[in-house]
Amino acid sequence: MTLTLAVWTLVSLAMVFLWQWTQITEFTIGFPSIVTGWVLFGILVALAIYNIRKKLSVLPLANSSTWLNVHFPVGLFAVGVFWLHTGFQWPLGNYEIFLTLLFYLTTLTGLLGLLIQRSFPKRLTLSGTEYIFERIPLEIFSIQEQAKELLLNCTRQTKRDTLATQYMAHLDWYFQRPRFFLSHVFGGKKCETWIRQQCSKVEIALNPQERTFLQNLFTLANTKKSIDLHYALQSILKYWMLFHLPLAAALMTLAIWHLLLVSVYFL
Amino acid sequence: MMNTVAKISRPTRKSAPFGPDMTDHDLQKLYAFPEIAAIDKSKFPTKNSLEDILKNDTRIKRFKPGEIVVREGDYGNSAFLILNGKLRVVLSPGLTNYLLGQKQTPKKSLWKSLSQLFTNRKISEVRDIHRYSDPANQQTVKGTEQHSVFLQDFSTVLNSSNTALLEEGTLFGELAALRRIPRSATVFSESHTELLEIRWQGLRELRKYDNNWRRLIEKRYSEGGLANFLKKTTLFGHLSEEVLQEIAANTLFKSYGTYDWAVPYKNMRGSENDGIQREPVIIHQGDYPEDLLIVRAGFARVSMHHKEGDQTITYLGAGHAYGDDELFRVWEGENNVAFKASITALGYVDILKIPAIYLEKYVFPQQKFRHDAQKKGEGALKPKRQFSNLLHHSTDNETLMEWVVQERFINGTQAMLINLDRCVRCDDCVNACADAHAGNPRFIRQGKTFGNWMVASACMHCMDPVCLIGCPTGAITRVVTEGTVIINDDTCIGCETCADSCPYSNIQMVAINDNKGNPVLDLESHKPILKATKCDLCIDHYGGPSCVRACSQDALHRVDFSDVHPEGPVNREWVK
Repeated sequence: MTLTLAVWTLVSLAMVFLWQWTQITEFTIGFPSIVTGWVLFGILVALAIYNIRKKLSVLPLANSSTWLNVHFPVGLFAVGVFWLHTGFQWPLGNYEIFLTLLFYLTTLTGLLGLLIQRSFPKRLTLSGTEYIFERIPLEIFSIQEQAKELLLNCTRQTKRDTLATQYMAHLDWYFQRPRFFLSHVFGGKKCETWIRQQCSKVEIALNPQERTFLQNLFTLANTKKSIDLHYALQSILKYWMLFHLPLAAALMTLAIWHLLLVSVYFL
Repeated sequence: MMNTVAKISRPTRKSAPFGPDMTDHDLQKLYAFPEIAAIDKSKFPTKNSLEDILKNDTRIKRFKPGEIVVREGDYGNSAFLILNGKLRVVLSPGLTNYLLGQKQTPKKSLWKSLSQLFTNRKISEVRDIHRYSDPANQQTVKGTEQHSVFLQDFSTVLNSSNTALLEEGTLFGELAALRRIPRSATVFSESHTELLEIRWQGLRELRKYDNNWRRLIEKRYSEGGLANFLKKTTLFGHLSEEVLQEIAANTLFKSYGTYDWAVPYKNMRGSENDGIQREPVIIHQGDYPEDLLIVRAGFARVSMHHKEGDQTITYLGAGHAYGDDELFRVWEGENNVAFKASITALGYVDILKIPAIYLEKYVFPQQKFRHDAQKKGEGALKPKRQFSNLLHHSTDNETLMEWVVQERFINGTQAMLINLDRCVRCDDCVNACADAHAGNPRFIRQGKTFGNWMVASACMHCMDPVCLIGCPTGAITRVVTEGTVIINDDTCIGCETCADSCPYSNIQMVAINDNKGNPVLDLESHKPILKATKCDLCIDHYGGPSCVRACSQDALHRVDFSDVHPEGPVNREWVK
């Protein structure tokens, strides 16, 4: 907490100082963008080092959480410096437009990452069960097998196939793989409503003995819903990095090229 | 597809003797000592003869004047019998860390740690199998081997410190070895001495088959270091040596439960009556208080009747006392005083019962301040630890306490506690662990959950590590200074005893591969050679456990459950 506060204070002070300095320089020597450009590049390098730190977990280079606590405010500082650097203007050249787009997209995916990292874990905890992401296909297969076993027992014992027919027509689709991805991501109730609808539709055609089986099938469907929720949220938690990192890498590459161009043609 | 395999002879207990230098001549010499000569060889089974025990589980060690044999606070897996010479045991107060020359476990160099990232192979659990056939690697138990340490300023210590003489034929160190607790005092050599060091596996066998040794060990066990132990308690800390000796002589020592409690505990889990009902009762709620109870080793549950069942109030660990408030009220003349709670043994517990008369004589007269506290209704049954502030948003204090006690997490000193409200399930912790341990993580990010808390399946480095029981070679052991439980891969014979003993199933057996990535098989049975693996807290790396350092969300901490309370050292911010 103390560290976070210190970093935020430092970043805010640096921002104020840099802004004041550019104002003064603009009227005196001119071209403050050379300095802000180098500062921005330094910040981008500092931000990118975090990923290298993550790979060097065996070295005592401070906790990853400390790095992340610094990564976020420094990332926002980069936005401020970027605005100072560009003079709050949208660039004109194609290369610069591309560079700007990359910068904003990297920032956006970073903010999105922060948002999901703050909100998704709590939702996963509320589901009440923990599933390891890599084992989810196995979990689903197991549920599917249990559902099929249940229906075979139902048909054998009741000598009726109403529930099995309904399963084959609709529920089999649901038990095959993770479903309602977007609804789970945005916290919708689509899956829950769908399961209830499917069960209600068939319930009226079942005798009391079959209804017991339906109840068990309903329980299995709800377990599957919980697995689907984990699949959806854990997928986003795992894969948002696949957007942020390549964008950051592309931004760094283009920024280096931009620096070279400026150094060669303008200095 | 691999089509080649490497084959070695499956290691046995005798492949890793405690003292590989023990010769037949040494054995003959040992038989000349009265303590060994008196042992009836015929009582020992053929497969585990006295000769086998002496050859595999003992070693002769020689010490010079001023050399430390055992240090107070260190963990040890062996006891010592004095063959020749004189030793001194330091009585309370103990010596400083400086005088004792205490050091931390050596760490890998930064370069070695870094190079691991590049040298880790794609195939995990690769071992240099030539190591296993080299006797030099069987000699030491990494991290437990104490190099020669001499007392700084020996003569001054000898003159100024309060010490007692230990002479030939004395056995010491058995309490720490058998009860898996830290050494209670420092012992150093006064002259040139020769000691027989017996690892606890051998001590256990001697106790099992020889009546004289059993009596000796039990006598030493109940009396050993009691006055020293009492000196460290809050109630008796202010008393003089003579008074403490008097109290120690009149203290009753009693053990409850099973020493090897993991097996019955595992069987009990999941059965209908898996709670207090099956635990050995030490005192019943409502009993008249006659003695003060102090836990010497192990854990005890404090519970009260609640409607139709029993509710856990708190638990007691080593050094915790119970009953002083009740005894004080009796001393004050109050009538109808009774214990307000029941105490039951969690697994096993050693209890010291100190008669009320000694508290009335030496303790209560100096505690007049209690009187006011009693009048205000404070005192008795104040829980030793309050978990409520940690989890107030998820459940009641009592329910959590029930869970922590029932799952025996109280035993953990380095439990992996994950705040699921923060954990982004990225597995960075798992990957970091794998990087630090030859490509295979030493824990599973799954475990018992309670609200938003998960205790993951990682070695908790227990206060009472029952996994040590039964290890035939002493490969699984505690690091002398830190108490971290580690496994020596060189001397592990893959018998799975530790994995079976661990009540939390936190030890995994792995099949090993040779340097070329080929599976290593036993020459005779052609089955894979197994090794036990578990979390070692990255003991040889700088910066502590990799899992903690790799967690970007600060969701993972290694905690001693007794520290997870409002006043404890666990960061309050973290639990929000």
